[in-house]
Amino acid sequence: MYKESTLSVQISSIVQETEHVKRFTLEIAKGKQLPRFSGGSHISTYLETPKGLLVRQYSLTSHPDDCSHYEIAVRLSEASKGGSRIWHQSMKVGDHLQISYPKNHFPLSFKARHHVFYAAGIGITPFISMMQELRDKGQTFELHYASKSKQYCSFYEFITQHYSEQSHFYFSEDNHRIPTLFLENHLVGTHVYFCGPETFIEHFVKAAKDLGYPKKSVHQERFSPPQLKRVKPFKVSLKSGNEIWVDEKQSMLDALLQHGLNVPYSCKVGRCGTCELPVITGDIDHFDFFLSEDQQNAQNCILPCVSRAKSDKLVMEIK
Amino acid sequence: MKWTGDLAHFPYPFKDSTYRYSNNSIPMKQPFCIEVTPSYKKEMLLKRKLLSDHPERCYQSLPHSITGQWEIVELLIDHLISQYPQHFSVEKENNSWIFFNKILDEKVEFIFGDENSLSCEPLFFISHHVQEDLIYMRQRDDDLYLDAGQLCFPANWSLAFNIGMKFKNIHHPIPGFKEEGLDQRILQFLMRLEAGTPWERLNWSLMAGDRLDTSLETFDQWGKLRKHVTRENAGELVHIRVEVQKLFRLPRTNSILFSIHTHLLSLEQLSTNREWLQQFYEILSELHAHIVEYKGISHYKASLMHYLEEQLERVKAT
Repeated sequence: MYKESTLSVQISSIVQETEHVKRFTLEIAKGKQLPRFSGGSHISTYLETPKGLLVRQYSLTSHPDDCSHYEIAVRLSEASKGGSRIWHQSMKVGDHLQISYPKNHFPLSFKARHHVFYAAGIGITPFISMMQELRDKGQTFELHYASKSKQYCSFYEFITQHYSEQSHFYFSEDNHRIPTLFLENHLVGTHVYFCGPETFIEHFVKAAKDLGYPKKSVHQERFSPPQLKRVKPFKVSLKSGNEIWVDEKQSMLDALLQHGLNVPYSCKVGRCGTCELPVITGDIDHFDFFLSEDQQNAQNCILPCVSRAKSDKLVMEIK
Repeated sequence: MKWTGDLAHFPYPFKDSTYRYSNNSIPMKQPFCIEVTPSYKKEMLLKRKLLSDHPERCYQSLPHSITGQWEIVELLIDHLISQYPQHFSVEKENNSWIFFNKILDEKVEFIFGDENSLSCEPLFFISHHVQEDLIYMRQRDDDLYLDAGQLCFPANWSLAFNIGMKFKNIHHPIPGFKEEGLDQRILQFLMRLEAGTPWERLNWSLMAGDRLDTSLETFDQWGKLRKHVTRENAGELVHIRVEVQKLFRLPRTNSILFSIHTHLLSLEQLSTNREWLQQFYEILSELHAHIVEYKGISHYKASLMHYLEEQLERVKAT
């Protein structure tokens, strides 16, 4: 099976940040260095479980130039398929694990004149390193951060200590919510960034679109694959003549991998484009954020990690 | 002076008997972006002379590339000392670095990240220690821009002309590249490059003469040799030029380092390998006219084919 190159790290500290969030510090062996990273970067963590390897992505919340350790913050998700549960319940100080090199699917815009971050809940994490980078470069930014309450607000202390002038908090317990109205008042040249639950992102992306924001000024980071609304099973027909069944509970990529096909992949949320495959016939339902609109409309390639078939069958160019 | 490399180290670029443009990149087995060859000293001498005599032609950078330049310094020094510990070493104390180049018997002290601690820009400094040309492509707002570069041995292109340009604009002159949609796919491929997984590819062309510095700016000096190729002198005069190109994601600035190591081999030397001779002849025989033209072969293709046919006959006779 395809596997990317990884770094070997050890958990050196665990901090209970809030009731549901723990921060983990990951250190590399003495004498070695971790790669620097850019604001908004994440890593994949590889967790060994009795059921196999679990790969989960987390934003890096440490300083981008700190090569001695990385930090991630993990929220225990009720809908956890195992990743956050293992992090919270099984991982201990001293444990070793493999992580990917840093990757960035949520980079800061180069041309933006001003950056505005909208975060909800654990969606705060990518903004921690992004704010650091902007401060180092002397660029302007503001943060609007929604959480249930001060008590449940991750990085509250850190943010008020370092970015008090730029930050605004909205606690739903106090009936405070971030109004999308804010989007109306940003100066031309402002780029907006959304990170949080799917509904939060959708709400703000739609508001920005309705206001006429240029598409390239709106940035979003999803922690989970987009919600699929029209999921149905389908068949994949290969060049060899073999057919693979993809049921409604699994991704096409997982089905192909399970059948021993050597499909390279990386992010598994339709971002990086690594798993792109050519399609000969069949209607494709694209759910990725990688292919351009034209490429999607051409209906001749698919990112199987998130996209599926509208038709009953996809005929593929792969063996 | 002869720049022709030795046969044993030559990166012969062909796998099949046909050649088409493609994204022929493969993941690197040995993830090092530099190579020190037996001609290191000779090439460093030439490179340093070019950098000092023609800085505008050989070195360009935009002001926002400095962080990326430091990233390149860190990566190259790391690769030099881990692959050639007998030749290079570094002593680090916090951000104070002392870099030793034992081949050239040099020692450079600087403070990592502090531009004032060097007498030149970081990329310019490290360029003086590696044979490769170094191109820095910055990923910004969903496109790649040539934001800095050191280029002493270009295959007929100009860094001064291309600085600040987007990937597709740089590659605009390649025939068929845009029409076949290759430019878009390769751009997307480059933008999904990940740290820790570097790629490499080989690129080739032919040239009359054995000059490493075939910049567009000096075309008047070397281009005319194309007209002097005959079937009698082709073996000595015509060289195959192969670039080992390596692609590394630089995670600090989310950019790409593109390193180019250029190798030259005369056709006379190439012909000493029977399989190469046969395959190279087949490739040239069926090479599309627009590629022949772009690679600068059209002037002397007939003489060249005569020469190769003679060589093939000679080989068959033995």
